[in-house]
Parts: sequence; structure tokens; C-alpha cells
Amino acid sequence: MTDVILEKVGKTYPNGYHAIPSVDLSIEEGEFIVLVGPSGCGKSTLLRMVAGLESISTGELRIRGERMNEKEPAERDIAMVFQNYALYPHMSVYDNMAYGLKNRGMAKKMIEEKVSDVAAMLGLTELLQRKPRQLSGGQRQRVAMGRAMVRDPKVFLFDEPLSNLDAKLRVQMRVEIRQLQRKLGTTTLYVTHDQVEAMTLADRLVVLNKGKAEQIGTPMDLYNKPATPFVAAFIGSPSMNLVDANLTEQGIHLSETLTLPLSHQHRGDIVWGIRPEHLEVSDERNADFALRIQAVESLGAETLIHGKIETEFGNGEPMVVRLSGPHLPEVNSLMWLTAPMSHWHLFDAKTQQRL
Amino acid sequence: MIENRPWLTFASHATLLTGIALVALPVWMALVASTHPASAFGVGHIPLWFGDAGAETWGTVLFEKAGNGVDTPVWFMMLNSLIMALGITFGKIAISLLSAYAIVFFRFPFRNLCFWIIFMTLMLPVEVRIVPTYEVVANLDLLNSYTGLTLPLIASATATFLFRQCFLSIPGELVEAARIDGAGPWRFFFDILLPLSRTNIAALFVILFIYGWNQYLWPLLITTDDAYYTLVMSIKRMLSVTDGDIAWNQIMATTLLAMLPPVAVVIGMQKLFVKGLVDSEK
Repeated sequence: MTDVILEKVGKTYPNGYHAIPSVDLSIEEGEFIVLVGPSGCGKSTLLRMVAGLESISTGELRIRGERMNEKEPAERDIAMVFQNYALYPHMSVYDNMAYGLKNRGMAKKMIEEKVSDVAAMLGLTELLQRKPRQLSGGQRQRVAMGRAMVRDPKVFLFDEPLSNLDAKLRVQMRVEIRQLQRKLGTTTLYVTHDQVEAMTLADRLVVLNKGKAEQIGTPMDLYNKPATPFVAAFIGSPSMNLVDANLTEQGIHLSETLTLPLSHQHRGDIVWGIRPEHLEVSDERNADFALRIQAVESLGAETLIHGKIETEFGNGEPMVVRLSGPHLPEVNSLMWLTAPMSHWHLFDAKTQQRL
Repeated sequence: MIENRPWLTFASHATLLTGIALVALPVWMALVASTHPASAFGVGHIPLWFGDAGAETWGTVLFEKAGNGVDTPVWFMMLNSLIMALGITFGKIAISLLSAYAIVFFRFPFRNLCFWIIFMTLMLPVEVRIVPTYEVVANLDLLNSYTGLTLPLIASATATFLFRQCFLSIPGELVEAARIDGAGPWRFFFDILLPLSRTNIAALFVILFIYGWNQYLWPLLITTDDAYYTLVMSIKRMLSVTDGDIAWNQIMATTLLAMLPPVAVVIGMQKLFVKGLVDSEK
């Protein structure tokens, strides 16, 4: 069953700024959707429009079939977790969690039951009488989630909830959020700029760029078949190597002297891409091209090699190679590489669409 | 910086003690004077130690009549002063909380203009607008009433400004969280805003209470009935006896009594006062 539908939803600010031209998205019940993109791409704005904290200029938002555009946030049956948690500093953990229920006129007994249930689930039982300032970052994060969960809403909204935590805690909370969401089965919209978070959490990802949904799909879809160079560069770390090239009947001309043979009906300017992990080391005879090594980053389990494609005229396009295990090639030496055709990504340079 | 120089410690303590002595001396003299009979001042020297008429003077002043032409006892005038001071204080706090709330959290046309108009009233204290204000109060038939004593002094730009600053420091996410939690404007005001500005309210209470208690010109102007005389203005009336000797002992006792409530408020609320001015726990 479709739970949340965004139909041509757009946002224009009173000063004329076109933050979001038009986004279409339909979310199935229980799905975990992650909105991801660089800062300023409008992902938070979109989330806040679903929450009702920003007005919707054009289009329609429906939750369970009901139009929500004009409804107050409290009437939309959503719950939101904020980046800074936004816990009420003067209230105890219990009151923080109970406040929304109290305002809805729920009976005291019921509130107590619900809060203690959720507190037990999140391991907050001992902390119920504390004030937020007496809690650590991770505990505050849990309270913020608890506050959202007691309401038992139709939709959870998360606005970069992990960005204020340290790296270790972030990984732990990420796993926890995923497990809780699975357990509760609540439809979730999650905003982040962190692509690892996005890839690991999402059932489906929405990659936003300048207020436009570049691609919507499962993490693996986006990794294997990015629709645009933007998505290709955004998903995966280190990001995909993208080279401006030209496609003719001989193949792809990466530079004037370097051509990769390919028969394709498309002609003209293209962007050719291959992920760092798909490049393979080979000997000089079988290689597609050579890389002039500029820097080596050894991470133990893998090695990242930064270099430039060697051409007759010296400087070529920069490229990153990711090899598993330790490698110690010398800087400034040449490295011969093959780029398996099955891993190529081709995009039209003009329309920025996948070929 | 930790220094251990005994003479420096000594010097700084000596300076402080001298300062305290200078400030406290008039109070001390008032206290001593109130324990001597009224005639003790006629002879030309000022006594520096307690006399034996203290209990009698204080008793008379506090419970019978203040003397020097003022026939109401001090406790009654204290009550009037207290009603006026508390009326002004609570009125000011309530009104400026509401106006600051409107200015910070609601979008309405000419919002900024409203704020600046309120702010400009800083330039119009009672002393400046006393004649028109008197006219208005007289026309409303509020002379000789508690309403007349407090109402014209209630509007406060300073307090509005202070609360505005306090509200502006409340993070927007908190406001949004409350909206999602289903708190309407009133709920938000009482459940979130008031508790968060608790310390500011306390600090303001101290300042405004002293302001209200010390009102002199306005009560002097609009009260002609003994039943509404406040303590501070009565001291002046006690000094303007035309015939006979001024009973300084009674005046001193009254003055000291007039000082007590503000001192009590400052001491009692010192901690909150400092907290409200210095830190914000948001």
C-alpha cells in the first residue's frame, strides 16, 4: 500500500528563490527512504515540507490518501527527530516523551504505559527522571527518537539525526535506527548528506541536486546504474572516475591519442566513467592505458592510488584506483591498467543522462 | 593567576572594608538616630551609639502613626507600597512577556515597526509624560486608587526588549518540535517559553520591584487620600513640617523600614538574579 505520495511538490520562497522545482515520490508502507545530496540541495526543505514546517508552494502531499498541504504539523500524524534533538531543556526525559501525548489529551495511565514501553525498548528506563543536560549525546539522541516513537506516528522524519555524534557512536546508532525501524515497520523519511549512512539505511534512495531528484532507487541500483554523472560521483567512495570523452565509430576517445574501442550508435560528447574499485592492474601489452602515479594512500585493507592518465602530451585526466590489500608502488612511476567494459558508465554530456 | 603577596591581600581587603564603611555609615547613623529621642538632634552633635528610646520610637512609627503630620502607621503605608510595587512588577512582566512573544514568534504586518514604537517609549518615562498621563488618569476617575497607582507605570520597553532577546536565543528547532508535538500558541507559551525564561523573569522581578517600590513622583501626584499613601512619598511629607521640630528619630526609623523590602528581595533572589543576567541554559 502506498503510504506517502509527493506529487509534483515544489517550493518557491517569497523572495522568488526556487528551492525545489518539482519532486515526485511515492513511498510504500514501512519503507525506509533516504534523501541524500550535498548541502543546499533542498533535502531538508523537502523533509520540512512533509513535516508541515514549510509550506508547499505547488503540487500535493498525501499521507494515506489524505491531502496534507494545509494541515498543521500536529495534524499530519508524523514525528520528527531533529539534528540538535530539540529536547525541551527544562523537562525530564519522561516529560519530553510524554509532552506530545499530553497535548493530544491522552489519559495519564496510557501515557505512562507507552512511555515506559518505549523507554524499555531504547534502554532509557533508568534515565526517565533526568534532565536533557545530564545526558550524553547518544542518550539525547535516543530520547529524541523515543519522543518520536511514543506517538506511534504514520511517518518518521529524521533530519540528519546522527551528524552531532562522534564517528563510533554514529555507526552504532545507525544500526540501531535501522533495527528499530524494521521492528516498528513505520514508514520513514531520512535526510542525510553522508552517503555511507544513506547506502546502509535506505530501502530506496533519493539523490537530490539543486532541488531536483536526480535518481530514485535502491542503493545497489544507484551504485550499479547511476542515471547521471552527478549520482555516479555522489554514490561510492572514493567517487567514480569521470572523464569527458568523445564517442565515434572507432570508440571512446579519452584524449587525442587514447581510444577505447566500442561500437555504440550514439555519437558526440559523452562522459565516460569507471569506479576506482573496477580498474585492474595488468601488464603493458594488455593494458588500456597507463597511470602516472601521484600519491598513494595505504589504508591497510585497501590502497588508493591517485594519478593521471599518461598521454603523449603529458597531463591527462586525474584518476583514482582502489586496490585491495597493501601495495607500495613508487610515486611518479607508471602503472598499467585495464578498464573492463562491463563496468563502464556512459553519460550523454549534453543531457547528462545515462546511455 | 595565583599570587601570594600578603601586603597585596591586606591592601585590597583594606580598600574593600573602607568602601563598605563609607557606604554603611549613613545607614548606621540612621539606625542610631532612630534610637534617640527627637530632642537629641537639637543639641548640635550627632550620637554614634544607640540610645534608649529605640523600642518606643519603632513601635509608635510602625503601629500607631509615622508622626510629623503623617497620621497613618508605617505598616499600612508599607502595605500600600507593596501593593503598588507588586502590581507594577507583575503587570510589567506580564505585558512585556506577551508583547515580546508576539514580536518574536508571530508574523504580522508592521511587526518591526511595532517593536520600534515600543522601543521608542524608552524615551518617555513617567516624568516626561506626567501631565497628560495625569489628565488621562483623572478623566478615568482613577485618582486615589490602586489601579491609578500602577496602571500608568506598567508598560515597559526595557522588559520587552529583554524578553525579546531571551526569546530570540531559543533555538528554532525547539519551536518546531513543540509544533509537531501539538502545542498551540498558548500551550507553547506556558509549557515551554515561561519555564525557559524563568531566570530572566526572576532577574527582572528584582529590578522592577525596586523600581516600583521607589516610585515617588507619581504617587505623590495622584494620591490625596491617606488610605493610598505609599511609604517612600510619605518620608518626604514627614520632612515638610512647617511648625515645630522635625522628629528625626521617627523619620530615620521610617526610612530604615522603607529600605527593608527591597533589601529583602535582593538578598532573597540574589542567586536567581545573577543567573538570569549571566547565563542561559538553552
